[in-house]
Amino acid sequence: MALVRTENLSKVYNPDTVPVHALRDVSVTIEPGEFTSIVGPSGSGKTTLLNMIGGLDKPSSGKVFINGTDITGMKDSKLIDFRLRNIGFVFQHYNLIPVFTARENISFIMLLQNRDKKEMLSRADELLDKVGLGDRKDARPKEMSGGQQQRVAVARALASEPKFILADEPTANLDSSSAMNLLDIMSRMNKEQNVTFVFSTHDQRVIDRARRVITMVDGAVDSDERRENGNDNEKE
Amino acid sequence: MLTYFKLAWRNIWRNRRRTLITVSAIVFAVIAAVFMQSMNRGSHEMMLDNMVRFSTGYVQLQDYRYDDESSLDNSFYYDSSVRDRVLDADPNIDMILPRIETFMLAANGAATRGSILLGIDPEKEHRFNELENRLSKGRFIERDDAAVMLGEGLAERLQLTVGDTLVLIGRGRFGMSASGLYEIAGIVEFPIRDLNNQVVLLPLPEAQYLLSADDYITSLLIAPRSDRHTGSVAQSLNEAFADEELVAYTWAELLPELLELFEFDLAVPRLLTVVLYIVIGFGFFGTILTMTLERLREFGVLLSVGMKRGKLALVVFLETLFISIIGVLTGVVASWLIIYYFHRNPVELTGDAAQAVVDMGWDPILPMSFAADQFYTQGFFVFAIAMIVFLFPLLKIVKLNILEAARS
Repeated sequence: MALVRTENLSKVYNPDTVPVHALRDVSVTIEPGEFTSIVGPSGSGKTTLLNMIGGLDKPSSGKVFINGTDITGMKDSKLIDFRLRNIGFVFQHYNLIPVFTARENISFIMLLQNRDKKEMLSRADELLDKVGLGDRKDARPKEMSGGQQQRVAVARALASEPKFILADEPTANLDSSSAMNLLDIMSRMNKEQNVTFVFSTHDQRVIDRARRVITMVDGAVDSDERRENGNDNEKE
Repeated sequence: MLTYFKLAWRNIWRNRRRTLITVSAIVFAVIAAVFMQSMNRGSHEMMLDNMVRFSTGYVQLQDYRYDDESSLDNSFYYDSSVRDRVLDADPNIDMILPRIETFMLAANGAATRGSILLGIDPEKEHRFNELENRLSKGRFIERDDAAVMLGEGLAERLQLTVGDTLVLIGRGRFGMSASGLYEIAGIVEFPIRDLNNQVVLLPLPEAQYLLSADDYITSLLIAPRSDRHTGSVAQSLNEAFADEELVAYTWAELLPELLELFEFDLAVPRLLTVVLYIVIGFGFFGTILTMTLERLREFGVLLSVGMKRGKLALVVFLETLFISIIGVLTGVVASWLIIYYFHRNPVELTGDAAQAVVDMGWDPILPMSFAADQFYTQGFFVFAIAMIVFLFPLLKIVKLNILEAARS
């Protein structure tokens, strides 16, 4: 069963005044373990598609299935819970909770899942070790660099053990070395733990790493390219 | 739950300056509200205290006809057995003061004035209202004296002073003629203008003799151990004397016009307090509005990653709660200290204001009430305002569009 499947997804903003077609009849399928980039120029609909897949926005028509569950008609409260259990998010601006330490930011997601406190803390520590921030557990976001914050954001996204991670322009605010480091971590997780990543990006470094590149133009899928050696470009 | 508390607590200190400004606004609001109320209530308490101590008592036992017709014919028999029954009626009775009261003409030569003759037990009166401290001239009368003390105003009007003789002419019990000449032992400055201008104080036995009313009194003033026992003491007495012609009234029943005056007098301060609350409310709303709008993006992210709206609202509620509690508690403590100081050291009025107050028979001070309820009621109102203001972020969170918030 496909992990993500969209069926004839369309989104029209301002349908009654000046209609803007953000998505036109988009049907894509993402399988478990993919490392996929959705690319395209600004306004091509890549972020809208990502929002639809993440259940953050409702389509004007069409459907989104996550692991076989249709999320398009789900009620807001149910959808929030569904996102918590199934989807991890990494944002361009990191969006960590500023008053929490790295460890608390990661634990917080598990707290929302009502997990055991001991388990939360040990998993948070484990994830911080994985993203190379084992020594920054008690640092607050403002005490960390952008790259470090984004690594914490990746760890946070993984904390809830989601089915897949949606990353919206994750490297856009990072310098080259931090971006490469982050990509290394994500591609390693993809290869070693089969974590599914879906990116929306402009960044050529991310595109180069992707094993699948979906190109959007004017709200429609222009091309869907699969590569054999995408994230094998890891610096090791 | 602890994590939500931690999150809310840390959130309020993210912008320390703004939080401190908000807390300060609440603190000053509580102080201003308490101060305003304390000042109003202080003058009322002083008026009431004077009225109760020098006129009605907290509870008064009378013949049931006396309230309608304040005549000596409606006096009642009072001896040690009645006294003992009164004292046994309620354990919260602290003191009892028998009085006989009637209208008489007071004269000095050709000058005549209507006066209120009060037959009192001097020693007990002093214990109840510190009457001796109000003596401006002469000496304090004793129980066995056949001498009077006059209110200062009456003495001035009759142009009498200590050592002079006062003529009293009137009617005794059941139409008996009552007249006498009395040496003026002292002049008393009453804190109530009407009393100051009319009262003649005579020891009770002498007054009873003058009025042909041996062992009769017109009222028995009862002082409870605490003013909060006023109602229960009156009730006990009414039960104890249910089969007789005596009835107990509280001061509020005896002075309804005074209560109405207080209510009327409080109208303007209440309006000002409402205005103050509105100002507080808008000030607080401004802060919460800024805090909320600044954090819409953060709210959107938290909802995106799976935080339920209810939990998010809880965190913001806790933030409002913490700020309100800190502000209100600090405000209550600060106002308690300030009011305590002014209660113990009242501001002394000077100039025309002081003269106006003295002319009304009061002390020239700005009395402050130290009643406990004004602290927690004002604190509660400010707290309630904060909770109402919280409805704004709550509404925002409930209606928040995640994507719009994330773009903000």
